[in-house]
Amino acid sequence: MSTKLSGASSCVSLARRAWVLLPSLALIACGGAAIPQEQLTSAQAALKGAEVAGAGEDPKAALYLKLSREQLEKAKALIADSKNEEAARVLDRAQADAELSLALAKEATAKREAAQARQQSEELKQRIGK
Amino acid sequence: MSERANTFLRSCVKRAGRALPLCTALTLAACGAAVPPKELMDARSAYTRVEKGPAANLAPAELDTAKQALARAEGYFNDDGDSPNTRDQAYIAERKALAAEAQAGLVQAERDRASVDEEFRKAQLATIDKTKAELDAERRAKEATKAEVARTQDEVARQKDEVARQKDEVAKTKADLAAEKKAREDAEKRAAAAMASLAEVAKVKEEARGVVITLSGSVLFATGKSDLLPIAKDKLSEVAKALKDQGFKAIVVEGHTDSVGSATKNEELSLKRATSVREHLVSQGIPAEKIKAVGLGSSRPVAENNTPDGRANNRRVEIVVTPDR
Repeated sequence: MSTKLSGASSCVSLARRAWVLLPSLALIACGGAAIPQEQLTSAQAALKGAEVAGAGEDPKAALYLKLSREQLEKAKALIADSKNEEAARVLDRAQADAELSLALAKEATAKREAAQARQQSEELKQRIGK
Repeated sequence: MSERANTFLRSCVKRAGRALPLCTALTLAACGAAVPPKELMDARSAYTRVEKGPAANLAPAELDTAKQALARAEGYFNDDGDSPNTRDQAYIAERKALAAEAQAGLVQAERDRASVDEEFRKAQLATIDKTKAELDAERRAKEATKAEVARTQDEVARQKDEVARQKDEVAKTKADLAAEKKAREDAEKRAAAAMASLAEVAKVKEEARGVVITLSGSVLFATGKSDLLPIAKDKLSEVAKALKDQGFKAIVVEGHTDSVGSATKNEELSLKRATSVREHLVSQGIPAEKIKAVGLGSSRPVAENNTPDGRANNRRVEIVVTPDR
């Protein structure tokens, strides 16, 4: 690998410090990353999951749902523009937003249900008259 | 600060010793990297806040995930400074921290929900118990009412029976009284009829000694005889019937003559004649022990003996009936 990178000394010192970046750098070096299909699918699935969980109905969840959706669109545009490496990063963000949106939606649902149960319980207690 | 950051700074210092202009540029770059991007600031503050909240207890796995994500972001920041990777990882780390917070909220809500459900279940049980108790009380009250109604109905029926029984008794008493009255009336009628039939064949008088039935001697006997004439038997049979109908205590048959002839003969004849009458009456069903015959001769005339009519009246048989009462 290091032979491939020998042309750029700044690249070498960077690679030594951060091994994680190597593959992407290698790909860039080789003339462009592949379409991040897996990340796209995963982000789309996460977004769908949040929508199904009712993220659109809770303000906080809806905010992150919107962010996720926008970034997903942005990623698609970047892919169409062959900017796959940037698209992959945007998709990671979209994924994180979708997951947070889902968590918030589930929390809101549980809280709403707990409140409803509480209300029912109170009503029942009142009916019993104690 | 991590070891890598120190290493970075040290290498920077070394390089500075060798070439100052380059070092200055690198130091500037390092100093630029030392200012964290907004994403990392946000991630740090989010994590710090969430870590102090209930997530530590309620969502430890999610909090750990967030912690690792933040560590990765810090790693990128230490290695690359404010790079796109640092920003992306910080962005993700902030969301992981918020997700851990949301998860803690979810768990808390579910716990609340479970305890409320338990309360609800208890309240329902209490409601059921209360309703049961109320229904029981209602049922018991109904049963008591039913029993009371049944008792009242029984009592009413009993009173009805009693009234009916009393009515029957009254009716029976009335009927008894009516029957008694009718019997008395019948007896009186029979007595009257008997008296009437006697009056047809004989003279009937009520005297102190009793009812006196006087039969003319000429109707009963031939002159000087003591045998009853056939027509006399018929008449005496009528008399016997009337006597039986009326009822009596005792009967005395008295034979009487006129004063013609010896007193002894007259007494003999009168006794014989009275005896004939008595025997006939006994033959007609008058109890023998209740009836006796006496011959009184001419001792008790009812008319003058100096005229044929008077003598005819004196020749007679008197049946003296002592009434029942």
